[in-house]
Order: sequence, then structure tokens, then C-alpha cells
Amino acid sequence: MARSPSPAGPAAVAGALVVLFLAAPVVALLAEAAGWRGLGAALADPAVRGAFFLTFLCATAATAVGALAGVPLGYLLARRDFHGKRWVEGLLELPVVIPHPVAGIAILLAFGRAAPLGRLLGGGVVGAPLGIVACMLFVSLPFLVSGAREGFALVDPRLEAIARTLGAGPAGAAFGVALPLAARPILSGAVLMWARAVSEFGSIAIVTYHPKVASILVYDRFTTSGLPGAVPPAALLVAVALAAFVALRGLARPVATRS
Amino acid sequence: MIRIEGLAARRGTFALRDVSLEVPAGAHLALVGPSGAGKTTLLDAIAGLLPAEGRIVVDGREVTCEPPERRRLGLVTQDALLFPHLTVGGNIGFALPRAGRGAAVEEAARLAGCAHLLARRPDGLSGGERQRVALARAVARRPAALLLDEPFGALDAPVRRELRAALAALARAGGTSVLHVTHDLEEALALADQLGVLEGGRLAQLGRPADIVRRPASPVVAALVGTENLLAGEITAEGATAPVPFPARLRTAGVELRGLATRQGPGYAALRATDVTLSREPLRSSALNRLPGTVRALAPEGPLVRVTIDAGVPLVALVTRESADTLGLVPGTSVYAHFKASAVHLL
Repeated sequence: MARSPSPAGPAAVAGALVVLFLAAPVVALLAEAAGWRGLGAALADPAVRGAFFLTFLCATAATAVGALAGVPLGYLLARRDFHGKRWVEGLLELPVVIPHPVAGIAILLAFGRAAPLGRLLGGGVVGAPLGIVACMLFVSLPFLVSGAREGFALVDPRLEAIARTLGAGPAGAAFGVALPLAARPILSGAVLMWARAVSEFGSIAIVTYHPKVASILVYDRFTTSGLPGAVPPAALLVAVALAAFVALRGLARPVATRS
Repeated sequence: MIRIEGLAARRGTFALRDVSLEVPAGAHLALVGPSGAGKTTLLDAIAGLLPAEGRIVVDGREVTCEPPERRRLGLVTQDALLFPHLTVGGNIGFALPRAGRGAAVEEAARLAGCAHLLARRPDGLSGGERQRVALARAVARRPAALLLDEPFGALDAPVRRELRAALAALARAGGTSVLHVTHDLEEALALADQLGVLEGGRLAQLGRPADIVRRPASPVVAALVGTENLLAGEITAEGATAPVPFPARLRTAGVELRGLATRQGPGYAALRATDVTLSREPLRSSALNRLPGTVRALAPEGPLVRVTIDAGVPLVALVTRESADTLGLVPGTSVYAHFKASAVHLL
């Protein structure tokens, strides 16, 4: 009996090519790092340790600030229609599409020493960890807001209505029903935001080259010492990103969000 | 007690207008109506989930402008809407004050017949179990009134009967008023002290179930309360038109029916199939209406047989199987349909 052609064969070939394309640079970098001094040697370098500590601290701070402001915004976008909603949604997508050095320049103009908002922040964000946090927040917040919006959109709004009839106020219904049910997509968005913040380079290079975060350090080492200096911290960054995305896969398991 | 005065609410392009009703403490009012009549909109407006105009009074306190959490109303929907991240106990105890929560949860669960499910998660429950939990959750706060939106609509008949009993027990135990939207007339008649019919966003009729079934106020109400014979025609008074209802005739397709009317002009004759008597010969009886006809179809319905007759106009009669056998009814049999003028409501 003749068999109908299966799409699985061509799909597998295409998939293998994509996996190969993505894996080749990662494997090459990790192999090169083991060939030079290894990830352990990179960690032994105080400058690398300092840059990574600063990176993780700023990324965590940006994610925390992003969660405080972005989760309520995600809730609003999922639940309410309001004037200017499309503009807000467009604005949230902007950091994903504009070149990040451009984002850095915009942040400099808005929060620099000469800008009113910069003076409000106590002398601006240039050359300060606050500048790093601002850059990270600007470029990575859309991931968290998007995760929160999608998470809340999956929760049946009638569950909150029932919670209200049971005596919960608007905040009680949101925290007691909507937030727990949207927790996984929000956490996924937070991990994605944190990882994106860790990897940010373009805007930080404009706003706060010093003190150096990991991505700036890698670039700096490449321009001053070439590959031998850049590969170990670069491989360490890749290892961190891999760990973050393995964790993300775990969070992305399906969960019932409707009754 | 719950009292609604001149309630109006909008949902999209649909408008609910001028609805007034009262459910005394411990009473049960069932609302029926065709799809899109505004039944769910009415419950949502009363519960505070939709902005509304008019007055909503719960246990003597006006709550029209209060948020849902301050209205003391429990809402149960057809799909139960249990919180999937909480256990049954967590659902029933949701938002209850910490002090006394355990006892309140156990008491409500016991009354609703779901005490054995307290540790379970909603996703493992059957439809009937979910509705028991939803009922327990709604009554655990001891609301002044329960708003039920077709709570048993998706359940099998035996489970429905069990839950009706559980609902009656819960309402009795708390002296709770019940406003109950249902499409099941049998359920409404079994549970309700009062019946309301919503039609196009308005309350078309409100009263004792038996009165509405006997004297539907409009063709839509007649159809909803199971009046099988609805004949359009011209209504003419036989004499004085006061007091109402007054004796009148309805002419349609060369047939004249005598009944009781509240107005003259184009209208309908509403006649329940159970009020139609069949015979093979003309009977001498007090029934003022006698129509000769031919049996067109017979359909058994449990102990009864639904007989469709062509009497110049289509007529439906419900007779016992024994009567159908005695009369030897088969398609083509010539019969006489008899019914009293008091059974014919000219609307």
C-alpha cells in the first residue's frame, strides 16, 4: 500500500539545521573556554567576579522593580480597555525593536545629569549602577509585562467576579485568585526579563561603561586582550544563560488556569 | 430578603429595563426566559458585577452602589467556577474571616453533602460534586440571598434531583432567599414559591407558578411554561369587557374558540394539552369548545401519549395510554376535542 508523504522527514531535517546553527557557536565557545583557562579560571579573576556580581545584582534589581510595576500593568492590559491602550502596548514593544545603543542615548537624554528626571534621581544615571538598572529595565521589561499579560488573560475573569461575591475586595480577588493562577507565566516572564537584563550590552555601553557589567567586560577584554581574554567570561555568561533557560522550561509546564 | 425596584442595566447592546421583584426571607423565586432574555444580566447586576440603575435592597439595606463584596449575596453559576488552585476546603473557606473559618467550612460542606471532599482539588471532581462545593462555598458566608444561574443545567437528571434537595436544605437551614435562573420548568415548579418570566430584558410576568402556568400573560410566556397550543386569531368580546378577564371568542382559520380574554383585537389562544379531552363521539358536557378533527400523529411520553390532531387548526392533546387504547387512537382516527372556555386564555 502506498504511504502518504509525511511532513516529519523534512521538518526533522530543518529542525536539525536550526539546532546545529544555534548550538555550534555555544559549543565552540564552551570548548574554547575549557581549552584556555576554563570557567573556573574565569571565576578566579576578581574583575570577572565583580562584573558578574554587579550584573546579577542589577539584573535582579531591575527584575524586582519590573515585577512591582510590570505585573499590575500586565493585569491592566489583560483585563481592561482604556484610552491609549494601543499606545502603551506599542511603547512596550519599542525596546525590542530599536537598536539598544539608541535606547542608551534615549535613557541618557531622559535620565542624564542635565535632564529633569535625572536630577530628580539625584544626579542622573550616568556612570552609576542606577544607570545599569535603568538600561536593563528599559530593554527587558517588555518580557515580564508580556508574560504577566498573557498569564492574566488565561485566567477566567469570572473567577475573580465570584471571589468578589464571596467577600474579597478587588485586591483580594487579584492576589487570591488571579495572581496565583497567572504565577507560572509571570515567573517565566521574570526569568526571561532577568536573562535579557544579564545579556544587555548596547544601552549600558552608552550610559554606564564603568563600573563594568559582564557584557561590557567581555567586550573590553576582547578589544584589549583579544580572544584569550574574552572567551572565559563569555563562556561563563553563556553557561548562566543556559541555566536560566533550563529553569524557564521547568516553569513553562502547562497549568490549569480555569475552573 | 431581596427587593429590586426599577432595575436597569446594560451589557453590550442588550438592555435590561425596569425589573422589579421581591423575594422574602426564605422564599424561592425562579426566573425563566428564552435565551438572551437577560436572566444572567439581571443576576450579575444584582450581584454588583454590572453597573445598574434602580434600587437593590438586601435585608432592608440598599446595596445598589455597594461593591459585590459588601452585598451579602452568594452567586452560583452553571459551571461552578471553583478556584482551580485551591482545595475544596480552600474554596469553601475563601475570604472567610480566619476566626471560625474551619467550623464554617465544615458546616457548609456537611449541609451541601461534600464534607468528604474537603482535601480534594476541583479538577478531580464530578459535575455534581463541583456544584455541591459551589453551593457550600456560596452559603458558607451566610448570605442574605443566593443567586443561582442555571446551577444544575449541565447535570444528569438523578444528580439534579439530589442537588435540588441539597439546595432546599441549605436555603431552609440559613433562612436564605433564593433567586434562581433556570431553563427547566419542572425544576422551577418543584422548588419555587414564585415564578418570574423574563422576555426581551423585561419582566413579562411574575406570580405564583400555578397561576402563570394557568394564565400566561403573553405568547412567549405561554410557550415557556409549556402551553402546547398557541393559536393566532382575532379576539372579540361576547359581551361586556369588564371585569377582566371577560368571556370572548377567537376566530382563526374558520375555527372559533371560546375563552377568557383581557383585551380585544389580534391575539392568541393559549391552551394546555392536558386540558384537551378526546372522544370518538360528540359528548354532552359543560365544555363550551368542541372541535371535530383527525388524529395525525401519536407520540408516547412516559405514561402519557401526545396526540396531534388536525381540527382545522393544529391541536395537541395529552391523554393517558389507557385512554388512547380505549379510544383506539391511530393516525387517521376521527375524534372530537373538547375543552372548557376557562382553559382557553385569549392573550
